[in-house]
Parts: sequence; C-alpha cells; structure tokens
Amino acid sequence: MEGIAERIDSFLVPLVVTPGDAIRFTLVEWLGFFVLFTGFAFAGWAWFYFRFILRNLLRNWLRTSLTAMATMVLVLVVTLVWTILLFLSNATSEKAKDLKAIITEKWQIPSQMPFSYEADLSEGAPSKNGDFRVDTTKDSMTWQFYGGTVDPAKRTRENIVFFFCMDPNKLMTVNDPTIDSLMASIPIPATYPYRKEETGEMVEIKSLNLTDAQKKDLEKVKNAVQKGQITSMMDGLDEMAPEELVAMRKAILLTLGDKRKVVVGRERLLALNKRIGETFKLTSLNYKDIDLEFEVAGVFPDGRYNQSAVMHRDYLNDAMDDYNRRNPGKRHPLSDKSLNLVWIRVPDTASFQKVEGQIAISPKFQSPAVKCETASSGVASFLDAYRDLLWGLRWILVPFILLTMSLIISVAISISVRERRKEMAILKVLGFAPGQILIVVLGEAVIVGILSGFLGSFSTYYLINEVIGGVKFPIAFFPAFMIPFEALWWGPTIGAITALSGSIFPSYNACRIKVSEVFARIS
Amino acid sequence: MEPIVEVTHLGKNFRRGLEEIHVLSNLSLQVPQGEFLALMGPSGSGKTTLLNLIAGLDSPTQGSIRVGKELISAMGESRLAKWRTRHVGFVFQFYHLLPVLTAYENVELPLLLLPLTYSERKKQVLTALDLVGLSDRLSHRPGQLSGGQQQRVGIARAIVTDPTLIVADEPTGDLDSKSAEEILELLVILKGALNKTILMVTHDPRAANRAERCLHLEKGQLVNETYQNFNVHTQAVSH
Ligand SMILES: Nc1ncnc2c1ncn2[C@@H]1O[C@H](COP(=O)(O)OP(=O)(O)OP(=O)(O)O)[C@@H](O)[C@H]1O
Ligand SMILES: [Mg+2]
Repeated sequence: MEGIAERIDSFLVPLVVTPGDAIRFTLVEWLGFFVLFTGFAFAGWAWFYFRFILRNLLRNWLRTSLTAMATMVLVLVVTLVWTILLFLSNATSEKAKDLKAIITEKWQIPSQMPFSYEADLSEGAPSKNGDFRVDTTKDSMTWQFYGGTVDPAKRTRENIVFFFCMDPNKLMTVNDPTIDSLMASIPIPATYPYRKEETGEMVEIKSLNLTDAQKKDLEKVKNAVQKGQITSMMDGLDEMAPEELVAMRKAILLTLGDKRKVVVGRERLLALNKRIGETFKLTSLNYKDIDLEFEVAGVFPDGRYNQSAVMHRDYLNDAMDDYNRRNPGKRHPLSDKSLNLVWIRVPDTASFQKVEGQIAISPKFQSPAVKCETASSGVASFLDAYRDLLWGLRWILVPFILLTMSLIISVAISISVRERRKEMAILKVLGFAPGQILIVVLGEAVIVGILSGFLGSFSTYYLINEVIGGVKFPIAFFPAFMIPFEALWWGPTIGAITALSGSIFPSYNACRIKVSEVFARIS
Repeated sequence: MEPIVEVTHLGKNFRRGLEEIHVLSNLSLQVPQGEFLALMGPSGSGKTTLLNLIAGLDSPTQGSIRVGKELISAMGESRLAKWRTRHVGFVFQFYHLLPVLTAYENVELPLLLLPLTYSERKKQVLTALDLVGLSDRLSHRPGQLSGGQQQRVGIARAIVTDPTLIVADEPTGDLDSKSAEEILELLVILKGALNKTILMVTHDPRAANRAERCLHLEKGQLVNETYQNFNVHTQAVSH
C-alpha cells in the first residue's frame, strides 16, 4: 500500500506541489511566446484580433474585472500554498551524496544535551577500527542557541537577537592554506560591501579598485568552492560572490581572534539599529543571568541569512564556566543542557547508516539518549505532525481552487459567448473560419488569465515579501516562508492554463455555431 | 449569356426532433449577371432558406447550386467560408454590425480575410463608405448611428470585397419609409453603376417594385414570376 501511494505521489507531486519543475514556463519560454505573438501581430492581422478582443473585454469591463479579481485572489492563495509546499518538499527530499545528518536528544523537544557529548558526537562516535570517523575539521558542526534582548524592559521583535553559537570556521571552512593566504591578500574588508570611515561612519563601497592579479585571485576563490577547497556546513555557499566569500572569511578570522565579535544578518542589524563595528549588550532570554556583550564584525551576504546571527561557541561556554566558578554549589540550570544540535556530513547513505549504528550502540550517550537522523528525515519526521494538514493543502485546497477558477472563467466566458452568438455568426457569414473565431474567444480568456495571473503573482510577491515579510505559517522551525522569485511565473501560468481549460468548451460551442440557425426565425 | 446563378431541382429539409420538415422542394431558378431580383412570399415559405443556400451559408438536401463557375452545393464548410468572403456580400434586416467596432472597422472586417496590405484595405474601405455617403462617419460606432446609416454601413461592408453577388434579407424591414427609400435607391444605383447582381428578400411590395424581376415563393415552390412592369401586371390582375 505504502509503495503504491508513494509511486502515485512521485508522479503527481511534480504537477501539484512543485510547479517549479512541471508546469512552470521559464522566463525564456515566456519571452518565446511574446516574440511569437508580436511576430504574428506584425505579420498580419493578429493586431486586429488583439484590438477586437481587448474592446470586447472592455465592453463588459465589470465582468472582465470580476473575472480578473477572482483569478488574482486564487493565484494569491495557490502561490502561498505552493510556496510552503515547495519549500518543505525541497527540505525533505533526500540527497544521495554528501548528506547531512542531525544528532539530537532522543526523547525530548527541544533537544538539550550536555556539552561533554560534543567531541564524540562530532566524530560520529567511532569506537573501534573500521568505524566511520567524521572529519571534524570540516564535516561537523555544533549548535547552541543563545537568545537575548537589547532592551529587557520592552521586548519586541526588533530588539531580540537569536544567536547560533558555533565554531565560526564551520560557516566557511578553508581546507587549503594557500587559498586562505590568497584571500587574506585581497584588499576587501570584512565589512564589505561597506567601508568604515575614520569618523566611524559606514560608507557603501562603490568599486573595489582591484589590480588584475587580484581579480584573478578572486576568480580562484570562486573556483575553490567548486573544487571543495572551501566548504561549509551551512547552505548557500555557492550563492555567494567571490568578494562576499573573502569578506566572510575575514569576518570569521575576526571572530576567531576575539570571541566577542559576531556576524549578523543585514535585516537583523537594521532592526537592532546597529552598524558594523558597534557593540551591543544582550540580556539573555534563555540563559538566565548570562548577559553578554558583542561587537559586530561582519554581515552575512544578502540572502537567506538576513535574519540570522552567529557567535563563537566558546564565548557562551566560557561564560557558563565563569558563572559556575563565581557561584560555587549553585551550578547554572542549563550547565549540562547547552548542546542543542550536532550536524555531521557523510559521503553516502552507507556511511550514514554506519554512524547511526555507532551512535546507537555507544554507552556514552545514555542520559540523555540521542538519535541520529538525516537532515531531511529530521525535517520530515517533524512535519509528520502536520501530515494531514499538508495533505489537505496539497490534494484538496489547491485542486479545489484551480477547479473553482476554471469554473468561474468558463461561466464568465459562456455568458459572454451566449450574449454574442449573433456576432460570432456574423463573423462566420463574412467568411471567418471556425479556428479564427476560436482565437477570438480563447484569446479573450487567455488574455484575462495571463494578465490577471501576472498581476496576482506580482502583488502577492510584493505584498508577502516586501510588506508582510514572508508567509507566517507556524510549521517546523522555519520562521517564515518567502515567495520564491520564480513564483512570478506561477500566476500567468496558472492563469493561462485555467483560462484555457475553462474556455475550451464555450469557445468550441462558439465556433460550431450554425449561421442558419442563429438567423432563422423558427416559426 | 450564362446565368450567374443557376439553381437546379433544389430541395432542403430540416430535421426537428423526429419530424422532417420539407422547406424547399424541386426548385429551379436562374439569375442572369447584373439582375436585381426580389423574392416575395408569406412568412415561413422558405425565402431566407433559399437565400442562405445560394449564399453558401447552408448546404442543400437535394439538387445543385452553381454560382459563376463554381458548384457551391458540392463544397464543404471551410471551402464555402473562403468562397463567401470573395463572392458574396450580405445585407441583413437588423444590420448586424459589430458594436465594438467603428464604421470603418466594420467595413474593413471582410477585407482582413483577403491578402491585402493596409493601404489597399484603406482605399477600398474609403471607396465603399464614400459610395454609401458615410465618409464623414468613419470613426462612429454603430450605436452612434441611425438605423438608415447603420444599414448603409452594412451595404458598404457587403460591397467592399467587390463580390459576385449581393444578398439582402429584408434590408428595409426595420426602417421607416424614408430611410427604406434611400436604401432601395442605393441598391438600384449599385446595380446600375457597378453592374452587381442583387438578390433581395422582402415583404414590402414597394421594395419589390424597385427590382427588375420578382419571384413569389409559397410552401417552398416558385409560384409566380413578374417582370419590370410588376406594377402594371398586378394592376391588370386586380382589375
Ligand atoms: N435551421 C432550421 N432548423 C429547422 N427549421 C428551420 C431552420 N431554418 C428554417 N426552418 C424552417 O423552415 C421554414 C422556412 O423558414 P424561412 O426562414 O426560410 O422562412 P421565410 O420565408 O424566410 O420566413 P420569414 O418571412 O418569416 O422570414 C420555417 O418553417 C422554419 O421553421
Ligand atoms: Mg426570412
């Protein structure tokens, strides 16, 4: 049963859930349509059709705008649902090579493990010869969470920072010392794309004024990512420009040199109203009485880490030790609970299974017990709680919306065709072929569909991403879902397809009209 | 001289449910080039049906129709459509102009189906509208024109492709007598100046009077035929 369901799923899901792969037309294809269309327009009388269709639409602008509005609203809903489903399906689809695994506490959410687990777990708990050993210099990462507010009297979303405490090297690991010195030699500041003036002000760097040799070096830096000389335990390294890689490396070196220094996302920094080089003090929200002071050393390149912040894990751990030393006999309540997650990367599924087994049989992780899962199955098992909801979104809501949309469009078109039976008949009398009449009727629907679909997509994109700041759908640990840029093409695609399917029947009827029947007065 | 329209043993049945209606049966008719022919007869006698068949809007059940050199009764639907564009101009009782298009665009419509350049089309549209006396109403929509003016646009549309045949189904049926008179005058002028063959269905004896020949149809059969001196003939009968 399971197997069949899965097979059906893998067949249908691309259609329904990931429009990205299946029914999305790419920018190139749309350009193709456009060129074809304008080609027709100049080639002959498609221009006439276009005007004719447009005027027919404007003649009954109320119906046209109602149809368009319905399409826009439905595009909005479909886009929201697809955004979430697309994101989750990407997050839960397994990579066969270089898969990441998460080690967490077995029985409890949130996971809180003693930091003493760190060394063994990072290696994948090998105990004997032949066991798989994770390369801890680049293939593992620990996460501890430290959250605090700059204004304890008045906590708001703006003044709270949530730090990932980790080894900064795991943000970006340079596995080849020559690349490291190469990066150090390129004159790009850690603060790029900003430069700090003597006055303390930050000025945006307009151009870098690099020599040709330095530009060549940048090229090598970019290639180093492809060659695996630069790796990361985080995602998104390959999205970064070489200038950003260099700046990031310099920021990391700063945090390694001074654990008070941190790297913060652009938007978070803006919300805090802090600039690079400035310091701020946090009153902790989860580590009671461990308040820390930070200095902003760098920002993440624009993108997925805009809301994130990373600090050196030693800063938290040292502060914890310090607290326990200052308060003998009264250890901090989170003393043995500060390790939240361990990430490891393994080359393939076989190694993963090996590590999973090693951890399971190890006597070292008894209290509390831990478990090891692939990142995607971790997310998937988390999502399991929402399975019915997601199933409903995917198989009921989206198809229902698409069906409604087609119905609305087809009813609107049917009415307008019926109202204009005589006009269709006149066109026929004058010698217009059924196909040409089809163009008029389909054209009306498709123009409304595409235009309102595009408008729907565009306003959804703008409204959700720019005004609201993402779909706030409380699922998993994803804070908000951003509408992907490619969603701009979902609207016109959905609009065109539903308009087509909704108008096929009415337009077929229209072009089959029998002139003698329309004009005969049956007595 | 060869007649331009030759209808031989024409029959047309319609099927309504199980019932078969014989609208036309064994009807033969010849129309010489350049004739202005009127068709009269009681309602339901099959006038429109005959006109539609000759104009290639429908296919006969029996018999054949030849227009010019072409046997249109043997043509399929899409060939008929192409043929109509070049060879038939239609004038309707209710004008049947497209309301979203201007007078100019309505007249241009049939030309769009022919391989003409923009300037060739423009020349023909302006000539046709000039002929019907509407050069000053090019950009008016049908809704902004009087009934008589709309019918003149309809006539311009019918002649713009320079067709072999003009068919008019009660062209004055919806007009007051003054406008009707103007339209009939226009048809007579068209026939005279352009030597067009015109087939007109009408209920109005005065309209039929303007034609050269008048055919009477009753229950799908031609029952009577009168010539130019139609007036004199009917008077003779009534005396
Ligand atoms: N498409 C059709 N299907 C079924 N019956 C039809 C059709 N067209 C015409 N008829 C029938 O054929 C007969 C002749 O109709 P037609 O329209 O030719 O009459 P007419 O002489 O033009 O009448 P009128 O003067 O009222 O216009 C009528 O009985 C009509 O009901
Ligand atoms: Mg009739």
